Amino acid sequence: MSRSADYAVELKDIFFSYGSNSILRGVNLEVGYGEAVAIMGRSGSGKTTLLKIIAGLLRPEKGYVKVLGHYLQAGGLNSVKGRIAYIPQTLGLIEGESALYNVLLARAPRKPLRFITGLWGGDDVEGAVEALRLVGLNGVGRRRVETLSGGEKQRVAIARAIFQGAVLLLADEPISNLDLDTAEALVNMMVSLKLRGLSVISVMHDRQLALKYFDRVYVLDGGVLREAG
Amino acid sequence: MRLTLTMAVITAILAYQLGLLDPSLWAKAGVNLVRFIPELGVRWDLAGDALLALYETLLISLLGVSGGTLIAYMLAPLASPLLSPPRVAFIVRTVANAIRTVPAILWAVLFVILVGPGPKAGALALTLYTSGYLAKFFYESLEATNRELYDSLKVIGLEGLPLAFALYSHAKKLIISNILFMLEYNVRTATILGFVGAGGIGYYIVHYLNLLNYQAALTFVVFTLLLVILIDFTSYIMRRRL
Ligand SMILES: Nc1ncnc2c1ncn2[C@@H]1O[C@H](COP(=O)(O)OP(=O)(O)OP(=O)(O)O)[C@@H](O)[C@H]1O
Ligand SMILES: [Mg+2]
Repeated sequence: MSRSADYAVELKDIFFSYGSNSILRGVNLEVGYGEAVAIMGRSGSGKTTLLKIIAGLLRPEKGYVKVLGHYLQAGGLNSVKGRIAYIPQTLGLIEGESALYNVLLARAPRKPLRFITGLWGGDDVEGAVEALRLVGLNGVGRRRVETLSGGEKQRVAIARAIFQGAVLLLADEPISNLDLDTAEALVNMMVSLKLRGLSVISVMHDRQLALKYFDRVYVLDGGVLREAG
Repeated sequence: MRLTLTMAVITAILAYQLGLLDPSLWAKAGVNLVRFIPELGVRWDLAGDALLALYETLLISLLGVSGGTLIAYMLAPLASPLLSPPRVAFIVRTVANAIRTVPAILWAVLFVILVGPGPKAGALALTLYTSGYLAKFFYESLEATNRELYDSLKVIGLEGLPLAFALYSHAKKLIISNILFMLEYNVRTATILGFVGAGGIGYYIVHYLNLLNYQAALTFVVFTLLLVILIDFTSYIMRRRL
């Protein structure tokens, strides 16, 4: 195995700008399999932009992105399809639908007909219920997501990533607007996905939590990442 | 209010041009009304015919809604630049807009020519019109989705029709409310499709009007109103449940 295959994510000298507004100016990052890494930085520093580049949603102007052994520039999302989960700041849940629906969504790419008709098999539903149970959401499967609390919604998003069988979890400030205890419990849960073999890259605002739970903490500043101690 | 004054002047000019300001017209209308009132009444012996015609009207409009919704579901993702190549999206959009620009009753005329008179022509006309109307609405609701939701679904690996259906379910309330709107619209339109021979209760209304049998015509009008009220009420109840 080549050395670079040992990384879940490898960024080399990434440059990105929106028009003339240069955001990333030479970002380097290596995240191993089963590692959890936090990214901090002031608002507007480019954290979300960086996550989107790793997710294959944006293309860097310069540098290369290697995710799960594939170079993303060439094939876009296709080569790693379904193996990355991206939890955006707004969580990406479908309101008006149940928690279970939102978790099952992760299987829609493989079973499009079942998804469109809503006729899921027993094993699909069992798996989704099990994922909800793993994040501590017993018996809320039928609840509409907009009736759940902020922390519960975030756990639904994590359950979806688990059910998806994602290898890489990208989370954008998953604990904003939560009280400290709930936030800590969530971070703990997210980071413990490492035990299931996931790599986790999460944008964090709380420095203490980041340092306590993540293997490494980076700060994005002036368009480059540097490790925080 | 300058707008009110402008409207008053325009109304006066137009009414004059159309001969509506002629006093003898109103005198004649009065005489007709007096003559017509004693004839008012419902011919209950025609109730059976009327109910059958209503049933046909309902079938035409429901098929228009269900068929049109299905086609629109498939068309809208093609019309959306988010989900389909820009050129394809442009063409499908143009087609959908063209379909809804033509009034449903004119589509009915076209289908009467194509498949002959009767409810088949009406059902096809309403299905086509509904698909054009809803396709535009559906692709607009696809465009309006929150970008982050779209991104996270893309990363999961959703694309094409399944992605569109996920985004539809996000806009479910609005979508159902528009489908209900089309139900009301289709029922109203289906009641006059018969004027051009495209089936439904309208056929009887013109038929008896042509025979100057006002009581019979009125009977069918009354039944038509009952259906329209029933559908509006149903739609109101369903909307409240959303
Ligand atoms: N689509 C876009 N078009 C133009 N500029 C953008 C776009 N998206 C983001 N930006 C700009 O790029 C910069 C970085 O944005 P980004 O969202 O990555 O910051 P962030 O670090 O995630 O901030 P926050 O902590 O507030 O979420 C900001 O100045 C933002 O205004
Ligand atoms: Mg951000």
